[in-house]
Amino acid sequence: MLFDRAFTISSVLLAATAFSGLVLVQSVPLWLAFPTVIILIISLLRAEGKGIIRRAMARVTVSATLWNVLLICAFLILLIDLTLVSQDLLPAGIHFLVVLLDIKLLTLQQRHDYRHLYAISLMAILASAALTTDAWFIPIFLLYLLAAVWTLLLYHLTHETNDISPGVTPSSTAAGHAAFPSGITHRFFWWTNGTALMTIALTLTIFFLIPRIGAGMFQKTSGETLRTTGFSDRVDLGTIGSVKQDPQIVMRVELPDQPAVEKDRLYLRGLAYDQYNGRSWNHSETRRRSLNSVDEGRVFLVRPTDLPPGSRSIPIRQDILLEPLDTAVLFAAPFAERVSGEFLTVLTDTIGGLYLSSPPSSRIRYSVTSHVTRLAQDERTASTLVYPDFIRSHYLQVPEESQLVADLAHRVTQEATTPFGRVLAVHQHLLGNYRYSLEGDTATLSHPLEEFLFTRKTGYCEHYATAMVVMLRTIGIPARLVTGFLATEWNEYGGYFTVRQRDAHAWVEVYFPSSGWIIMDPTPTTDTLVATNRWESVRHLGESFRLQWDRLFVRYSANDQLAVVHGVRESSGALREQASHWGSLISAPIEKGFSGLVHVAHTFRPGTLELITGVVVVGLALLLLILRDRIGLWATTHLPTSHPQLAIAHLYTHMVRTVEKHGVHKSPSATANEFASLVEREWKAASPMVADVIALYHQGRYSRTPLTASELSRAAEQVGRLQSLPHTPR
Amino acid sequence: MSRPTGYMRRVKHLFLNLRASPPLSFIRGLSQKRSIRLTSEGTKFLLFTFGIGLAAINTGNNLFYLLFAMMLSLIVISGLLSEHCLKRLEFHRHVPDLIIANEPASITLSVTNRNRHLPSFSLRFCDVVEGNDVDRGLMIPLLPAQSSVLLSYPLLATKRGRIRIEATRAHTLFPFGLFLKKGRYPMETHLLVSPPIKPLTLRFIDELVSEGQGESIPQRGDGTQLYNLRLYRPGDDSRAIHWMTTARTSQLIVRETEAEDQRRITVILSIVAPEECDALFERSVTFVASLLSQLTERTYPVRLIVGTVDSGLGSGSGHLFAMLRVLALCERRVPGTGSVQYGESLPLMHNDERGYTVAVVPWSDQEASASPVQADRILHAAQLEELTHAF
Repeated sequence: MLFDRAFTISSVLLAATAFSGLVLVQSVPLWLAFPTVIILIISLLRAEGKGIIRRAMARVTVSATLWNVLLICAFLILLIDLTLVSQDLLPAGIHFLVVLLDIKLLTLQQRHDYRHLYAISLMAILASAALTTDAWFIPIFLLYLLAAVWTLLLYHLTHETNDISPGVTPSSTAAGHAAFPSGITHRFFWWTNGTALMTIALTLTIFFLIPRIGAGMFQKTSGETLRTTGFSDRVDLGTIGSVKQDPQIVMRVELPDQPAVEKDRLYLRGLAYDQYNGRSWNHSETRRRSLNSVDEGRVFLVRPTDLPPGSRSIPIRQDILLEPLDTAVLFAAPFAERVSGEFLTVLTDTIGGLYLSSPPSSRIRYSVTSHVTRLAQDERTASTLVYPDFIRSHYLQVPEESQLVADLAHRVTQEATTPFGRVLAVHQHLLGNYRYSLEGDTATLSHPLEEFLFTRKTGYCEHYATAMVVMLRTIGIPARLVTGFLATEWNEYGGYFTVRQRDAHAWVEVYFPSSGWIIMDPTPTTDTLVATNRWESVRHLGESFRLQWDRLFVRYSANDQLAVVHGVRESSGALREQASHWGSLISAPIEKGFSGLVHVAHTFRPGTLELITGVVVVGLALLLLILRDRIGLWATTHLPTSHPQLAIAHLYTHMVRTVEKHGVHKSPSATANEFASLVEREWKAASPMVADVIALYHQGRYSRTPLTASELSRAAEQVGRLQSLPHTPR
Repeated sequence: MSRPTGYMRRVKHLFLNLRASPPLSFIRGLSQKRSIRLTSEGTKFLLFTFGIGLAAINTGNNLFYLLFAMMLSLIVISGLLSEHCLKRLEFHRHVPDLIIANEPASITLSVTNRNRHLPSFSLRFCDVVEGNDVDRGLMIPLLPAQSSVLLSYPLLATKRGRIRIEATRAHTLFPFGLFLKKGRYPMETHLLVSPPIKPLTLRFIDELVSEGQGESIPQRGDGTQLYNLRLYRPGDDSRAIHWMTTARTSQLIVRETEAEDQRRITVILSIVAPEECDALFERSVTFVASLLSQLTERTYPVRLIVGTVDSGLGSGSGHLFAMLRVLALCERRVPGTGSVQYGESLPLMHNDERGYTVAVVPWSDQEASASPVQADRILHAAQLEELTHAF
């Protein structure tokens, strides 16, 4: 392909890539996108040199005045768009940019037209970057960079080739001067792509190294938040059902310490409720207090008020990337002990809920260390349990109209002899006798719990959990309802849980005096898709990729840079320690052996040690001398590789001398090929080596292609091999 | 007062030492070897880069930082590739021994790319003369690795003298045309430029020749007078055998005759002239060069005396070039300065030695009563003006 044509195509592709970015941020309306696509296709076909299009475009000549009029029209449209339609600068500006792109594509003739096109493309890709943080920006960016390298290179080369006048072309060549290619050669193609790859690598390096100052005047502070339910001070029974079909991602939870928790489910606690009035849950106390902070205010300690001493617990550390929600609640596995993140303050309530001072406007990342409590063995079998007054006063409240529920609870638990047995009986009853269903809205009913337990017998997590709490309370066991998320979607590629809106869940915490609050989930497991098919794996892979993109690029910050610096410092320290450890491991036996040798040396007669040392040194030197040619060391290190002609001539002489030592003499008048024939007759074993060296000699001395370093080392090896041959000429 | 002076001296000494220190010398050498200039496209590119950088800092948007990094990396790649193009280039310049002013001469430049693997692109070359780049219109779009190319270009010197080409400057816009990177390759070359050769009127030359009683030099040639007797050598004309001597010596002896048309002409150029006569002096030099050229064409043995420099008598193109070299380097001297005064340069010679003498005197001292130059013909300023007005 000719440079000119390739240049036009790459320019159009650059514009097309930038335009694709705008389309993907959904900032270009269809009425504008469609004609732009048509114009891009026409421009590509014209650049490709398709006959009909080219002829048609050649016939259509539009005067410069008309284009100027069009530009003025485009500007007027921008004003109308800005004041009446979009009423926002960014969308109106993007529309104007696309119109300019169209006009420029249609008038692409002079070099300044191309320059304008590049400027418009750059503005377009900037606009895309301003409007998105999605992972699709990566391929668009990479394509843009590739097209930019091609375009800039061809822009320069087309200019240079047009500049070459016939009078200054080289008059003669000394060695293989290549004429400048007029088109894209195979080598040029890969060379340019290599340059683009190099540019990409350098871009990434610079990206990670540029210090993030983050002191701008126009920092992005607001964004769209996800609407969710179930995390306010009062929750009506049945409200969670509205989000149970929503697949939007709410958060991603990593477990960096790979704890011994099951990877199939993780409860992420949001809020707990202690008061139920028959239709809705709420808190009896709404007071919140700030958590104490340590480590320069980045770590907040949660006082484990509800965690009795001696309870069995397992620590879990979670790194959570939370999407902007319309609630200030921080989610974490129960029960949080430490919270760290870029927060000014973290609040908590009396029943273990964690809050920010206001809902976050953008994604936030925080880490939480929690302790999952397990039920103590003695409380499993204890026939009676004594609860503190505070627990009794707060967690045994039931609505007045719960007599039917109380009867049911007593009936279900009549055979159980221990509190824990009663808990299990209620749990089993709910699991076994009710059907999970999202159908039927109970939010408007006056007695939704009774409706669930006695009439419909179908419901979802809220109904199950509420039923269990009320039933347990009616038989004197303290319990509370908890809302949060149940993470079940483990991403094996990224090593994290993906939590969606539909994972919103409600469950129960039951109090045991020694063990504390124990999680019980009476909701039966729903049939979910098992991530076994290929598409599911691909989806997980994509999801993991998006998380990495978000972490490494979108949310890369000065803290990450500091962390990298600290990491490098720590790892270099660790490396030093490791190296000294290995050094001591290696040196210890050597020292031991050496001290043994010294001990033996002391037993020698005077002068014997010196004699042995001298013999060893001389022996080693002789060995090196004998082997030098065989290993090709001397030949390759002493070759003047910067002058391949000299090097091969040197090797050729060496080869001839070697063969002559074996009695096959080259007469002065014999050519190299005649000598090769002589060697073939006289010393068959040496013939392949001699022939190879002579072939390389001919190539290096007389051809236009200089020998490469590998060919020179091959020749040196052949000479070395020749020297190692036994002396058996015929 | 002495303390501050001493202190200043120490500071100055320290500064000089610092300048001569190896790192600074290295940096200075590096800056002389390489220089970078922004092109108009490069300026726009940098402005865009600056704008995006500003936007990235202001918004904290990492995708802006990514685009900023892309722009910076394109700049860095541009610098690396252009450096690679200029690295390991070797130059050799081939120039003629003497060139004549106002006549184009061919200069040859050999460029070798000593890079092992990668070619160099878009190279342009300039000669560095008196610190300035002189573009010769030389360009190589592609020079493959380990190969060389010969470039030739015409050089037109406009005045006589010595031209010193200090170095060759290579520059490239590769790869993106954003920066013009220049590399300086020291390679001092001296070119000698003789005065231009102008046509003289035939009448003047004929007059000059016939006017003088040029004496024949004892030189072999066609004539009747005996020049020499020598032993016969195969190939000699048998008619030239001198039979009487042959009979007397019993050896074949041939007779050589003396050339009859040879006349010896000495041209003296006075180099003493004041500043205001510089133009005439230069025209006189041109006149002498042209005269010598014409006489050499007519195979006259000629001799040139310029100041204290005497070319000696000789003929042929080799001798002409030697005389032109003298003329190329001769310098005007202001009257009353220097050791060589007007007319002093002419050595004492017998008429036999110098033959017919023509003195070219662009300026003569009006106060002097008689001309100190003894010549058969003296061309003074007025005659020279007339003879050289067309130059």
